[in-house]
Amino acid sequence: MINNPYLPIKTEVLDVIEESPTIKTFRLKPEAPLHFKAGQFIEMSIPGKGEAPFTPSSSPYEKNKLEITIMKAGRITAMIHNLKKGDTVGLRGPYGKEYPLFEYEGKEILLVGGGVGLAPLRALFLALAHDIEKYKSVLFCCGSRTPSDIIYKDCVLDKWQCLDKKKVKFRITVDRKDDSWKGNVGLVTTTLDKLDINLKNSVSIVCGPPIMMKFATFKLLEVGYKPEQIYLSMEKNMSCGIGKCGHCRLGNFYACKDGPVFRYDKISHIHEIWD
Amino acid sequence: MDSYFINKPNFDRLVKSLSKTYKIFAPVKVDNNRFYKKVGEDGLEKSVIGEIRAVEPIKSFYFPARAKIAEYFSSKEDSDAKEKPVAIIGAKSCDLVSFKVMDYVYSQEPFRDPLYVLKREEGLIISSDCTSYGETCFCVAIGIMPYPLEGFDINLSELEGGYVAEMGSGKGEKIVRDYFKLFQSAEPYIEKRNANRKKLKEDLLEHVKKSKIPPKDSIQKAFKTKFDSTLWEEVSKTCVECGACNYVCPACHCFILMDQKKVDGFERLRMWDSCLLMSFARVAGGANPRKLLAHRMRNRFDKKFNFFQDTIGRFGCTGCGRCTEACPGKIDIREVLSKLEK
Repeated sequence: MINNPYLPIKTEVLDVIEESPTIKTFRLKPEAPLHFKAGQFIEMSIPGKGEAPFTPSSSPYEKNKLEITIMKAGRITAMIHNLKKGDTVGLRGPYGKEYPLFEYEGKEILLVGGGVGLAPLRALFLALAHDIEKYKSVLFCCGSRTPSDIIYKDCVLDKWQCLDKKKVKFRITVDRKDDSWKGNVGLVTTTLDKLDINLKNSVSIVCGPPIMMKFATFKLLEVGYKPEQIYLSMEKNMSCGIGKCGHCRLGNFYACKDGPVFRYDKISHIHEIWD
Repeated sequence: MDSYFINKPNFDRLVKSLSKTYKIFAPVKVDNNRFYKKVGEDGLEKSVIGEIRAVEPIKSFYFPARAKIAEYFSSKEDSDAKEKPVAIIGAKSCDLVSFKVMDYVYSQEPFRDPLYVLKREEGLIISSDCTSYGETCFCVAIGIMPYPLEGFDINLSELEGGYVAEMGSGKGEKIVRDYFKLFQSAEPYIEKRNANRKKLKEDLLEHVKKSKIPPKDSIQKAFKTKFDSTLWEEVSKTCVECGACNYVCPACHCFILMDQKKVDGFERLRMWDSCLLMSFARVAGGANPRKLLAHRMRNRFDKKFNFFQDTIGRFGCTGCGRCTEACPGKIDIREVLSKLEK
């Protein structure tokens, strides 16, 4: 009998971390190991209710456990937000194409994330940090609506800042500040001005809401990146996850099996990519 | 492939015998339409082997409108009783060609659909030549013949008193071997079969001429030039988003997954979906690459005449004309194709 690709693995919720008023991170332990690579996604289900696609946000090197960061945005995510420690969910995957880390070796890497789009970039960042000697440098540009919308605060504002200050740098910005905020104010695209990067030897990786991806990509092109140096994580309606149900078609690709990570030059001709 | 002749009483005997192994379906005529019905005690008496395709697409048997594809988190093993595999009699060329699409989607590695693969492996297909054509038929305009060339276990060409039976697979060959005494030489009948086929093909070519469908090899290019055209708004003016065109299409394969609770654990259902529905490509949070009906209409033609042409080298359309017949908005796929080159 063929393996049933629609069958979820029973998974325990180990912990729920509140990241922002609308975003939570779920620490999960599947009954059977589920090894993903940074950028790949999984389908997470509420038993008997349905499932939705998410890209894990924890380190791919962490075995047996994983974290998924989820914004409350629809029917399934609202139910996921009601989960508590000890609850049972379903997971299947991983699916799709990961970030091609070997293409990033020896390069100056620019990560551009907005809002909950930081989730896949966190997994990618942790994978890069794991083998930091392979890469020339990492600049992580994060944008959030307000200071309270910043996710992974303990990491981006604290822990990661102390990694290797010469090699790993951060630019954090918020669209609107509050009284507590002493940092940059402005859209994430403003952090892409005055880059201290040798563009010829650089790659940029963008993830965020569609509108942010669009303007960040255009900004990167404007500052001198070539389309083949830009990697995007496309969010489409990846329902089956395995290239069959038809929902996530993007031109001649399916986001679920040919993506979700795409090099921009491969998809720039396709209508509808930013919608 | 080898062919033999089988007379009608003998074919009836063969079907009765096969019914021990298979659940057999054949088209039955109701008014002017044909519907697949289970062949029972009275054999093929009411069945129509020739004529044209049935109303429902053959995908219904391999990729049902609603199917349980997984049970999860239950303590008991799946207890569903094993059913007999299905044998279809009287499937037409346009149905068989649709398997090129379906097999590509559901049987390819690395993720094979277990239910579909099982039904394809177990099933038996005894197809047949069309002996007439429907008003909406246009298979020949896109290079598909009104008689099967491949994809069957046995194909029947109806003649007076019996059928020329062509074997198309090892499974078909075995059946002929096992029941060899029911068959006779096809030689005296081949000429007549070929003449019938030629006549029908010519008649159908004449029939589709008035639709002015672009030549098969220029349809994809024509579609690309019309991508930003107002054609799609025009075409979708009478679309009521019912999804009928998707459901009756033998090559439409999209589905939606639905989970529900059962007594012990949960089950996952796979159900046909329609790309013309507003929510088809929408994601949580509301982003939707195809908010406009005109874009969804265009997407349907994009998938059929552009995506599949690039992906598997053939259209995701078999010229069966079912969508035209089913559409309450009178959207005629032939007319849309003809407008691609205007």
